[in-house]
Amino acid sequence: MAAALRFVLLAVLGVLVASSLAGAQDAFPSRPITIVAPFPPGGVADLTARPVAAAMEKVLKSPVGVVNKTGAAGAVGMQSVAVAKPDGYTLLLALSSISIIPEADKIFDRKPAFTVDQFAPIALISADPTVLVVPADKPWKSARDFIEDAKNRPGQISFSSSGIYGTLHMAMELLSHGAGIKLRHVPHAGAGPALTAILGGHVDALASGPAVVLPHIKAGKLRALAGWGDKRVAALPDVPTFKELGYPDAEFYIWAGLFAPKATPEGVLTRLRSAVRDAVNDPDFKAAMDKLETPIAFKQGEEFQRFFDADARRLADGVRKVGRIAP
Amino acid sequence: MLETLHNLAVGFSVALSPSVLLYAFVGCVIGTLVGVLPGVGPLAGISLLLPATFGMDATRAIVMLAGIYYGAMYGGSTTSILMRIPGEAASVMTCIDGYAMARKGRAGAALAIAAVGSYVAGTVSVVGLMLLAPPLAAFALRFGPPEYFALLLFGLLVLAYMSAGSMVKSLAMAVLGLLLGMVGIDQMSGYFRFAYGVVELGDGLGVVPVAVGLFGLAEILATAGQAVQPKVIEPKLRELLPSRAEWREAAGPIGRGTVLGFLVGIIPGSAHIISSFVSYALEKKLSRRPQEFGHGAVAGVAGPESANNAATSGAFVPMLALGVPSGPIPAVMLAAMMVHGVSPGPLLIRQQPELFWGFVASMYVGNLVLLILNLPLVGIFVNLLRVPYPYLYPAILTFSILGVYAVNGSVVDVWIMLGMGVLGYVLRKLSFETAPIVLGVVLAPMIELALRQSLAMSDGHYGIFFQRPIAATLLVVGLGMMLLSLRTFIRRGLDWRARMALAEKGES
Repeated sequence: MAAALRFVLLAVLGVLVASSLAGAQDAFPSRPITIVAPFPPGGVADLTARPVAAAMEKVLKSPVGVVNKTGAAGAVGMQSVAVAKPDGYTLLLALSSISIIPEADKIFDRKPAFTVDQFAPIALISADPTVLVVPADKPWKSARDFIEDAKNRPGQISFSSSGIYGTLHMAMELLSHGAGIKLRHVPHAGAGPALTAILGGHVDALASGPAVVLPHIKAGKLRALAGWGDKRVAALPDVPTFKELGYPDAEFYIWAGLFAPKATPEGVLTRLRSAVRDAVNDPDFKAAMDKLETPIAFKQGEEFQRFFDADARRLADGVRKVGRIAP
Repeated sequence: MLETLHNLAVGFSVALSPSVLLYAFVGCVIGTLVGVLPGVGPLAGISLLLPATFGMDATRAIVMLAGIYYGAMYGGSTTSILMRIPGEAASVMTCIDGYAMARKGRAGAALAIAAVGSYVAGTVSVVGLMLLAPPLAAFALRFGPPEYFALLLFGLLVLAYMSAGSMVKSLAMAVLGLLLGMVGIDQMSGYFRFAYGVVELGDGLGVVPVAVGLFGLAEILATAGQAVQPKVIEPKLRELLPSRAEWREAAGPIGRGTVLGFLVGIIPGSAHIISSFVSYALEKKLSRRPQEFGHGAVAGVAGPESANNAATSGAFVPMLALGVPSGPIPAVMLAAMMVHGVSPGPLLIRQQPELFWGFVASMYVGNLVLLILNLPLVGIFVNLLRVPYPYLYPAILTFSILGVYAVNGSVVDVWIMLGMGVLGYVLRKLSFETAPIVLGVVLAPMIELALRQSLAMSDGHYGIFFQRPIAATLLVVGLGMMLLSLRTFIRRGLDWRARMALAEKGES
């Protein structure tokens, strides 16, 4: 009897130990994952993060939430993930500004809020080339007209941007250096005010993500001259790329990618990467991105690293060319 | 006109369909709560609830979000009047005379006037939105940085009317406010100013933490510091509603506040915040008894509260007519439309008539819902004042900290609020007024950005302010107003303000 009891107890114990060991192996995720969007709700980061979170939730069968941690042009949220516990439960949905902010910190000789190598890339989700738009009542019919005119009148043609060293500023700066022109920069506090400024005719040009300017192009208020992409924008098949026009340096994407803190264990990263790969193929996710008119551009591993490195290099170069502007 | 009526009928058929009606109601209730909670304003409320709308269709989502927006404007006045804590930035002015009315036992009257004023303003400005949206929107877009700068200079002129006592003290506080407004990233160069390595300070000192600290916390500290515990005001049921005389006093300011708020509201940017400030100054200027302002003037509640509600509807004009993200809140609402596959643009009204007219009709309904919701609540809210201070104040303090923290999830904001509370207490002891500080904090970043953007546009030439007709007109009118006030200053030597200051000196 006693022996039998001991056997049963041991067996139960054995099963418990075995299951807990197995649990430890594929325990991730055993609690909710948080994706930090470092920009306010309604922005590109937020609008990408939410469908990604919903699709990952389905794949991982565990809750995935989005938290908007905003401030200082994204630096607050990015810094919070950079120093978060590297356990895979705190992720970052970053835009290209992740490589700009540390570079701008360098320019001002201040202690960087974070550095790019504090993050481990998981996957690129979307990449949308910016397009150059001008008010429809301006004389420029093509990018060549625009660049020609800018060469004749250096510093006379103005453009609005989402802010100094912001993504929309960088796109314009890469074009200026690639084409050897000088434009007049009027920074605004965000992409919304920058768009409002060009619609009001207060500036002459804007580099913008295609989705937000499409309705204004269709309504005949704005004219698209060229795109910064590798390929033409699907919704604007007649608009050439700067690459086609012979300005290969003018390459710029508003991209959104998922990152984890650097020291996250490799096993967890692998699990996350495969989850994101399945998530981007989810039909609901595709439908959500379709409504936003944002093309999915999934890349991971080596491929994402290469894209990220090349982009970071271009942007760092751009920031350095702008340099420090006297306050 | 006939077409408008027809469209409106279609709109009401959308707005009165049970599901849309329900979402409008839910939006209004949430908005009222968001407004009542100190610190949490409409932007925070809408941002927090935006994800919840992703599963709805576009019309319902927009109707609910708009309900939160104007509901918060209604609710914002409540804590301002009862506890001197601005629920959101636009009700800062209501703190002054609203709270003074409450101290005199007229809290119910102040709340009722705020609710009715908000209702009138909301409804009238929806009519404006409905009839005038496309032409007004085109006009509003002509407000670029130079026009914005000229308009904000009016905001600075307002400072002169904000004080009930010494002008010198009030200007000193305004300068302090403008200095505090300099904290944060310089938008033109990317330079961090006065941030001392704290990344969160990059966005500057938020208006809400500053206002809640300077008004609410300072009030609590001051009351706690009194040797004799102040008597709890026990409102009588009979005194809940405004008297006939108070209604008469409120009527003009409500009308003027509505027109002013709507016009300021349509201008892209964050000008809606200054609509209540400008309205307050206007009422004080027009009043036959300006000395009452700051001591419970009915007009000081009716005007600003109407103005901030009218500004809400005004802000929708460029958003709906042209698809322009004309301010932070319209930008979030446009994002909500994009999530639903509606691309907001100049063709929105034509392509999505049900959305536009359903939205307009739902605002008529929503404003009525809010009035019905808020008037009976007056009785309940006023009873909060019966709670003895040892229980009431710690509770308010807790809610203030929670509210301010919730907006950005930032502890730094809480520290700013606490610091401002202490500063506000000290300034009160020295009988400085703190409202000009808040206005300074609001105006400084906006004026600076508009000025420097204008100069970037003109490559440094100040002529830009006089070459553009709207900017030039505004500047000339502003200068004229300043000269006029100087004239009375010189001629009479002592105006009522100086006499008040003398009287105050006699008291202390």
